[in-house]
Amino acid sequence: MMSPLPAPVRAALAARWPEVFPAEGDLDPNGPLVPADSHYDLAALLKEHGYLLYVTVVATHFPTPEGDTFEVATVLRNPSTGKAFWWRCKLGADPVIATLFPLFAGADWQEREQFDLVGVRFAGHPDLRRLMLPEDWEGHPLRKSYAIDTPHAPWR
Amino acid sequence: MTLPHREADVTLPKPARKDPHVDLEKLDAAADLMAINMGPQHPSTHGVMRIKLWLDGEMIVKAVPYCGYLHRGVEKLCERLTVVQLTPIVDKHDYVSPMTNEQALNIAFERMLGLEVPRRARYMRTIIAEIQRIASHLLWLGTFTLDIGGTIGGGASLMMYTFREREAILDVFEMLTGARFHYNTHTVGGQRHDVPVGWPAAVKKMIDAVDAHMPEYEQQCYGNDVLVLRTKGVGVIDRELALELGLSGPNLRASGVDLDLRRDEPFSAYDEIKVNVAVATDGDVYARFDVRMREMHESIRIVRELIDSIPEGPICSQKPVKVPFAVKLPAGRQFYTAIETPRGELGTYVIGGGAEKGAAPYRLKFRPPSLHAMSALPYALVGHTVPDVVAILGSLDPILGEVDR
Repeated sequence: MMSPLPAPVRAALAARWPEVFPAEGDLDPNGPLVPADSHYDLAALLKEHGYLLYVTVVATHFPTPEGDTFEVATVLRNPSTGKAFWWRCKLGADPVIATLFPLFAGADWQEREQFDLVGVRFAGHPDLRRLMLPEDWEGHPLRKSYAIDTPHAPWR
Repeated sequence: MTLPHREADVTLPKPARKDPHVDLEKLDAAADLMAINMGPQHPSTHGVMRIKLWLDGEMIVKAVPYCGYLHRGVEKLCERLTVVQLTPIVDKHDYVSPMTNEQALNIAFERMLGLEVPRRARYMRTIIAEIQRIASHLLWLGTFTLDIGGTIGGGASLMMYTFREREAILDVFEMLTGARFHYNTHTVGGQRHDVPVGWPAAVKKMIDAVDAHMPEYEQQCYGNDVLVLRTKGVGVIDRELALELGLSGPNLRASGVDLDLRRDEPFSAYDEIKVNVAVATDGDVYARFDVRMREMHESIRIVRELIDSIPEGPICSQKPVKVPFAVKLPAGRQFYTAIETPRGELGTYVIGGGAEKGAAPYRLKFRPPSLHAMSALPYALVGHTVPDVVAILGSLDPILGEVDR
């Protein structure tokens, strides 16, 4: 569950992104929406403030009448307090977002999994290959446009 | 109790970060390297996975694990099944501790919906989780010592004993739920099966047997030079790397991070009891082994503390579910929550308002601790020999059903 941020972290975030992190009041319980170009900087700032444990990254496909949109949620945890924090970034029909691999070695595999299943690309990732599915798989199964009964060759 | 603990005279190598993406073509010695595949059918993987190793003589220069052999598309399936139908599905993820999988999923839904869980059900969940932790660590202990062949009397002897205890635990679970493996006993708002007559006594008898046999296991492991020499200083993951990789549970605590969600983000009845967290600092195979052994003692203590004080009352705050659409998730709501399983932080990222008029999640992402443990292999294996791969892989304790989902 989203825990309140400690005051120094909140102040640092409010100084940098005042429109996303107001100095007072509750944050969005669904996870604050951060501009995609601030994704890496926010992770770096949180890492400086003790959010050292890389938890996970989740990409989700939201088809709209205007076109495809994607959301990438990243979860970090502070090992000294044990509290987790996550934020979201909205992406367009051609989803590209900065990799967190230089900050967190664990982003390597997690971002590969989201690339594999959802098709979000992570710019700067050193080894962006499929993780779960065979390399010659077509499509990204966790997109809503990918039918659950899409046929594929049982062996190859 | 003092253990027959013999310090092996081994100097620990200084941990250094190696680049797992090193381009072997650029190495001078590339022509002499030998590439071998460990798996997908190697017995030490306890599942289906493959590690491609590049060897310089006997030393590993680069290791690339491949997973996905057991990928079943569960997250896609979760977008079609309703909340009520999902519990038996997640039993199959971490098939060594199915109870905690169910618990993680249902706690996520309960927290999302803001549902109360009766105190009796919370106590039952805590007891079940701790018994499951003992069972899971017992299976790990048996197979780990089998892999490295390091117990007195040969490799397989300890496994026979740990499976004897695990059988007793499965009997206890069968008495509670009627099933030996895929239980489907947790539900949104509480439990489906109440404590049967005589269950607390059966649990106490089982726990006493496990506790009585623990010194035997410890003597076979701690007092054995083969095991100690093969594990000390092998597969070191330092604190910084463990945090960056997102290791959790015993693997993280063996690297010196004092983090346990049972204490730090309490769920079920853990807010009413004290949990002593086992921490080690070396970050090697021996430390991970040591942490798991100490955790089993703590689990035995917690079960003994709670089993006599299960409060009376209802076991579920919701009406029994007659149709699979009874529980609906709010549209547009999304959040992350996690619990501590035997392997670490099993997280669930839920987005509500999916198919079946909101009765199915729009997106359900599991955060399996084993996947993060597997991703430590490229760092931990480099510089060791092929027999050490088995020890390091066993100490990280990944379950492939959970890695691949």
